[in-house]
Amino acid sequence: MKNPLNKRLFRELKSDIGKYIVIFILLVLSIGFVSGFLVAGESMIKAYKESFEKYTIENGNFRSEEKLTSSQKEWIEQRGITVYENFYIEKEFNNETTIRIYANREEIDKVCVMDGRLPEKNGEIAIDRMYAENNGLRIGDELSEEGNGYKIVGLVALSDYSALFYSNNDMMFDASAFGVAVVDKEQFEEYLDDGIRYNYSWLYDEEPEDEIQEKDLSDELMEAIAQKVSLENFIPRYLNQSITFTGEDIVGDKAMMEVLLYIIIIITAFVFGITINNTIHKEACVIGTLRASGYTRNELIKHYMEMPLIVTIISAVIGNILGYTFFKNVCVDMYYGSYSLPTYVTIWSSEAFFKTTFIPLVIMIAITHVILRKKLSLSPLKLIRRDISGKKQNNAIKLGNSIRFFDRFRIRILIQNKSSYLILFFGLFFANVLLFFGMMLPPLLIHFQGVVTQSMLAKHIYLFQVPAGAIDTQDQLSAAFSYIFYQNKISTNNPDAEKFSAYSLKTIGENGARVEEVTLYGVIDDSRYIQTDFDEKTVLISSAYEDKYGLKKGDVITLKEPYEDKYYGFKITGTYDYDGGIAVFMSKKHLNETMGLDEEYFSGYFSDSEITDIDSKYIGTTIDEETLTRVSRQLMISMGNLMYMVDGFSIILFIVLIYLLSKLIIERNVQSISMVKILGYSKKEIALLYIMPTAIVVVASLLISYPILSYVMVGVFRVMLKQMMSGWLIIWLDPSVYVKMFLMGLVTYAVTAIIEYRKIGYIPMSEALKNVE
Amino acid sequence: MQLELQNIKKSYGESDNRIEVLKDINLSVEKGEFVVLLGPSGSGKSTLLNIIGGIDNADSGKIIIRGKSMSDMDDKSLTNYRREHLGYIFQMYNLIPNLTVRENIEVGAYLSKNPLDIDEIMGVLGLAEHQNKIPSQLSGGQQQRCAIGRAIVKNPDILLCDEPTGALDYKTSKEILSLIEEVNQKYGNTVIMVTHNDAIKNMADFVVKLRDGVIRKSYRNEAKQKAEELDW
Repeated sequence: MKNPLNKRLFRELKSDIGKYIVIFILLVLSIGFVSGFLVAGESMIKAYKESFEKYTIENGNFRSEEKLTSSQKEWIEQRGITVYENFYIEKEFNNETTIRIYANREEIDKVCVMDGRLPEKNGEIAIDRMYAENNGLRIGDELSEEGNGYKIVGLVALSDYSALFYSNNDMMFDASAFGVAVVDKEQFEEYLDDGIRYNYSWLYDEEPEDEIQEKDLSDELMEAIAQKVSLENFIPRYLNQSITFTGEDIVGDKAMMEVLLYIIIIITAFVFGITINNTIHKEACVIGTLRASGYTRNELIKHYMEMPLIVTIISAVIGNILGYTFFKNVCVDMYYGSYSLPTYVTIWSSEAFFKTTFIPLVIMIAITHVILRKKLSLSPLKLIRRDISGKKQNNAIKLGNSIRFFDRFRIRILIQNKSSYLILFFGLFFANVLLFFGMMLPPLLIHFQGVVTQSMLAKHIYLFQVPAGAIDTQDQLSAAFSYIFYQNKISTNNPDAEKFSAYSLKTIGENGARVEEVTLYGVIDDSRYIQTDFDEKTVLISSAYEDKYGLKKGDVITLKEPYEDKYYGFKITGTYDYDGGIAVFMSKKHLNETMGLDEEYFSGYFSDSEITDIDSKYIGTTIDEETLTRVSRQLMISMGNLMYMVDGFSIILFIVLIYLLSKLIIERNVQSISMVKILGYSKKEIALLYIMPTAIVVVASLLISYPILSYVMVGVFRVMLKQMMSGWLIIWLDPSVYVKMFLMGLVTYAVTAIIEYRKIGYIPMSEALKNVE
Repeated sequence: MQLELQNIKKSYGESDNRIEVLKDINLSVEKGEFVVLLGPSGSGKSTLLNIIGGIDNADSGKIIIRGKSMSDMDDKSLTNYRREHLGYIFQMYNLIPNLTVRENIEVGAYLSKNPLDIDEIMGVLGLAEHQNKIPSQLSGGQQQRCAIGRAIVKNPDILLCDEPTGALDYKTSKEILSLIEEVNQKYGNTVIMVTHNDAIKNMADFVVKLRDGVIRKSYRNEAKQKAEELDW
């Protein structure tokens, strides 16, 4: 005989449809959203990784002042590489953007056509898809520069430009102001006399095994090429941000999503826990009777687990369907909104399935099983008597008569339902965690922009790009000559300009921390820009450095030469107020000495006005307000959508939890409410007695959770940002976020309270007569 | 001998608050007997019934059912014992609210390898026409009939009834008592009924009067009346 209790399932679902719908929504959204994100991420990462082979992405590129002669090319290729021409030209277009135009590539760094086609004749152009989107350009539109017009015939992704960095030295890319494009070969031929850049890409004949070998190979290669060619630029692939940035960032996003997922899993498990608990409270007498009749504990555990299991499984199926369709598309759009990725194929992600479906299911089974086992281990007698708290009833807490009767009544309700209210507190806390997570980032980024702008070292910082041939040659005499020549090129007459030296080292990644670049600035005596007295031992770290790593005066920082076994230790003597980057400041003499550089050596200028008399090809990096805020602006673009989704999701979660928990408290008090109704209390009075305590708890929970949240979330954010990003964002919590969250909490509760108020009206007086002890 | 209680003691609370609910109870019940445990509130009659039913434990003493000691049973064996041998009827019906009358009776039938015919039971209990109703559509008396159906459908050796008419009016109470009597006669189950209603003792084969946890009097009822003849 089939267990007749199974017949309850559908009716149970029907009778408590509100509860199951909200749980269903919660689960579908959690599973769908996170699996969509992970599936999109994995599909993207796969497409990204496969693009290396599929589109034959270069192992590196170099730019020479002149076109290579065939003998030069041959000589270079004898160094174990194959060299491909990858010339480009940069053009300023009428929409005030710069496009780097290549001839269509057939052998290396091939082009992925996302929409339309490749150019086939003069006057046609295929532009980067993301650049097009950011500038509102479509196929068929016209792009023009200095009288020349181009018809856009295709939207493409250049495999070596998944992140549109203009210069490899830029801290962040800006896909609105800079884009890449390809034109037909014939069209490109016409540019040949027009400021063409002789860029060459190479492929190793034998791929290096790891980054260290890659570094050795590329270093040797650079020295070798520099002997024969006047190099303007030399970027091996592993250092090329345009190629590597995307992969690193997608992996970083995943880490953030996983934190979110764990919060959601806890909340889901928790919702199941309270639901089960509520069901047992409600059905204690029936359960006790069934147990007394001979039903085994396992039969009942199985029965009460069926409904949550069915709901979870259905939610998981629908969640996964939505995850692989709707949510995946949303997340893919998010990635395409940030990066110039090639086309992708959706892949089945076992990791996403495991994390979003299998783990929640297991947690749900485990939690419900533990709660049911615990509750059903009570004797049938206790269940029949509804004595299911497992504790003996203590004497009533004395409340003085000076407290008004209604207040005493409410205090009694608070005490009676303390466990429910505790659950409510944790529920609201978790929902707030998520909401906080989504709401605090945008203001934090805006604040960061302001802070960074205020604490700029100078309005413009120019860092030179040393032509590779100028110094790294083995012929000392010619090196000296080229150096003098080079010095001449980097002089300026701008009175605001102040020389400084700079050197890049890397952190050593202690305790599994991310290895990142640290810029060491050597400042001249009596600097106008870094106003501190430097002596031989002064080593100041930037406030961002101090904040990120929790460093203090007296600590020793160890930094290393990238890819070399050379370490430097600096004892911190203080902090310099600079939030724009991870930097160390010392006197120029001190830095040059430490790094074995000439006393006169300098690497750039600080200046409050623009320097116009140095050729841009000698300037590797310019740091100004625009570049410093580029990080936060790009983060706003790439994470903005995600944050709005998190906001939306947490608001739904908030509503679901408040609804479920308030419902639970009223349901637990149905008999008492019915009884006071019999006694003659009005609906309003009953609401004051039974809804008001919940309102007080909601308000108190919200207010108490904020300081805890701030403390916890700042900690979580610090860990997350530390893992995710190079550089640092000053963590600042916008006070208005608290106000918004509080108001949102109140409005949500008010809606729920209205529903509960109506429900009070429906509670029949006969309820009080049922199951009386 | 179907049931034998030897020196059953039970108390609640600790030290100063300790209350002895049952003080050395000894009792023997024969198969098929209709036993009434009679006593005022607090006399220990429900506790005794619960101990017999295996849903409460005695502090000391022995309960032997069909020659087997209950004190040797672990939780699992006790559940099996209830499953195979006992039927329970409470003052409150504790029906499953979202199952129909028939389905509530099936809940009991599921537990038995050889359940009685559900239609027959519903006929006996006068529930046939209500079989597709859910409990909230029934009167108190009908709900109790349904609870009786759930208890007897598995044809238990012993039917334990804890104040089964406590929440019912006079007329309905008599109907329910008649039904239990009919079940006892028709199926031959042993019935142990707890009540504080003195009149009900007259329908019993064996009457046990309890007060303050002690059996004040127990006797075989020689002048047994039919339930319908009772009056109070």
